[in-house]
Amino acid sequence: MDSWSGILQGFSVALTPTNLLYVFIGVLIGTVIGVLPGLGPTATIALLLPITYTVEPVTAVILLAGIYYGSMYGGTITSVLLRLPGEAASVVTTFDGYQMAKQGRAGPALGIAAVGSYIGGTVSVLGMILLAPPLAQLAVSFGPPEYVALTVLGILLVTYLGTGSVLKSMSMAALGLLLATIGLDPITGTARFTFGEVALFNGLDFVAVAMGLFGVGEILHSLERTDKVQAVTSKIKNIWPTRKDFRDSSGAIGRGSLLGFAIGVLPGGGGVVSSLASYAMEKRRAKDPSRFGKGAIEGVAGPETANNASSTSAFIPLLTLGIPPNVVLALIFGALLVQDITPGPQLIEQEPEIFWGVIASMVIGNLMLLALNIPLVGIFVQMLRVRAGILAAFALLVTMAGVFSVNNSVFDMWVVLGFGVIGWLMKKTGFEPGPLVLAFVLGSILERAFRQSMLLSGGSFDIFVTRPISGGMFAFMALIIIVSAITSRRRKAVFGRVDPADVDETDEPDRDADRQVSAEGSPGADSTTDEPTGSTSTTPGER
Amino acid sequence: MPGSTSASGAPTEGTADRGHRWRQLHRVAPLLLLALGVVAIIGSRGLGLGELTAPGPGLWPFIVSLLLTGTAAVLVLLDPAEDYEPWTRGTVRIIAGLVSLGVFILLFQAFGFVVSAFLMLVLWLKVFGGESWRLTLVLAASGTTVMYLLFVELLGVPFPDGLVDVIGG
Repeated sequence: MDSWSGILQGFSVALTPTNLLYVFIGVLIGTVIGVLPGLGPTATIALLLPITYTVEPVTAVILLAGIYYGSMYGGTITSVLLRLPGEAASVVTTFDGYQMAKQGRAGPALGIAAVGSYIGGTVSVLGMILLAPPLAQLAVSFGPPEYVALTVLGILLVTYLGTGSVLKSMSMAALGLLLATIGLDPITGTARFTFGEVALFNGLDFVAVAMGLFGVGEILHSLERTDKVQAVTSKIKNIWPTRKDFRDSSGAIGRGSLLGFAIGVLPGGGGVVSSLASYAMEKRRAKDPSRFGKGAIEGVAGPETANNASSTSAFIPLLTLGIPPNVVLALIFGALLVQDITPGPQLIEQEPEIFWGVIASMVIGNLMLLALNIPLVGIFVQMLRVRAGILAAFALLVTMAGVFSVNNSVFDMWVVLGFGVIGWLMKKTGFEPGPLVLAFVLGSILERAFRQSMLLSGGSFDIFVTRPISGGMFAFMALIIIVSAITSRRRKAVFGRVDPADVDETDEPDRDADRQVSAEGSPGADSTTDEPTGSTSTTPGER
Repeated sequence: MPGSTSASGAPTEGTADRGHRWRQLHRVAPLLLLALGVVAIIGSRGLGLGELTAPGPGLWPFIVSLLLTGTAAVLVLLDPAEDYEPWTRGTVRIIAGLVSLGVFILLFQAFGFVVSAFLMLVLWLKVFGGESWRLTLVLAASGTTVMYLLFVELLGVPFPDGLVDVIGG
């Protein structure tokens, strides 16, 4: 099927009343939770996973995708007005967006962010239409060794591109892989680590693990720290940016679109990395970099464009290779798996209505977001009045009732609670749950591919390096490890200066911001700005 | 373990003491991971490793637990501690909240959704959220109703039989 008829089919799917409604609900929920601090897209999608099983697969993905890119819009609002990032990718926006708000330019900051996000999202959808079908065709020829390489690459990049310690992320990834082995062995049927518990024979339920770590874990964590209520004082005026604003930020929006698209495609990419990279790029390109951090509109336009572009293009690896590039996509992957749909190279051929339907829904969803955000910003700001305690109470109840509804199992409720405790403790001790969940999802794919590769090769590891595509990917991984090992001393020096004992509660946003800035100067962030353009241009060329 | 003795000296809140306790405490996380890794290694060996040409059920778990043990061992020695968050008074509330969730699950099994959901909302809104009694009761009652309608009537989830079903026949 060519792209054109695919898009037409997509719109015929996305424009049905049900799906239109779900796009709207998705982007609305996304914006709202983007505004509410403490409830990010990951937690929300985890909470809503059970509800998606009652609808068609395509509708489920449309809803969840809407939440994801909707939250990218919503997160901007609190970043600009309160210097409180509603979700992680908006941290960068606090640098210049809040300064603009202090200068009475909150309106244009929010306006340009919405326009930029719209453009970024649309560019990304176009890129997806062009890139995804050839990539899926390439991936059809992938054998087990390529899947081993791809999954390992995904896990590795998530551990390296995270904001925390690489080693900690890696141990979490190992833990995720280990947890994925619980249950019956897929080939021999031996029960592994089930301790005689029948409920564990099918393994830990992905939804319960994700809801525990992200839902309960993050709710508890945010409840512990955000006790103060901040009042919104200023009224937002002149939201539509002036001609000069557009002129100043057009370059940033253009570059942000392309950069965000490229980073989103990369495993491990996604919101935070792309907005950081865009900010770094704009600052480096600026004639007068000292304006940044003092209300430069490019510092808002670029990152906001990039994070929305990346949240759209992140669907490419999921829908063409069956590899979720980040945690949010891992959740959507899990949602599809439970619906008996395994995303992969065959998806475009076998389930075209899902692939094209989701793409078409993104075009519609981005338009809805633009329409929602420009006139209704004031209403969303009012959401900030919802107190964290009320939010937490209801979110927890939805979580518990929701997880029960998946398998009608009380055991899963205990799993959620257990992983909620683990997730909260991980947050407290600086372990990121992202790598764990991603590795947990990819674990069974990786194990199967690894064992098949071993059977193919007769027990030799050569198979991973002698085949060109998997060999290339392993070489790339080796490069990442070597480069970061060489430069890790520099990173340590940067981190060493931050002493958490000196930082008290009130300085929390500042501390986060400092960390992000230091991460931006670190080799990890630099390499991402260079790598994606290379990798995206080579993959289709290898055909 | 020295960490346990210094942790018991809670009333003396000197900065140095706090820093010391904090340093000991954060070691617990990688130590737990290390212990888990070692147990998993032993467990996967017990499952049977097989050969690389014919992998047994334990081979993959064995490889993965080696990775876990290795990274945890390095972390015990080298964990950069700056991302650790101090325990606050909020922590006690969180632990109480977790216990309440456990109680909720038990109540849910025994009395069904409506009673347990209402009680949990009351507890969380009043005690953890600090809302007024009026708002608490209004929100808890309406929240329970909406959730019941959503999950039971709309989604048809078979919650355990509870008081409402018993009374309602």
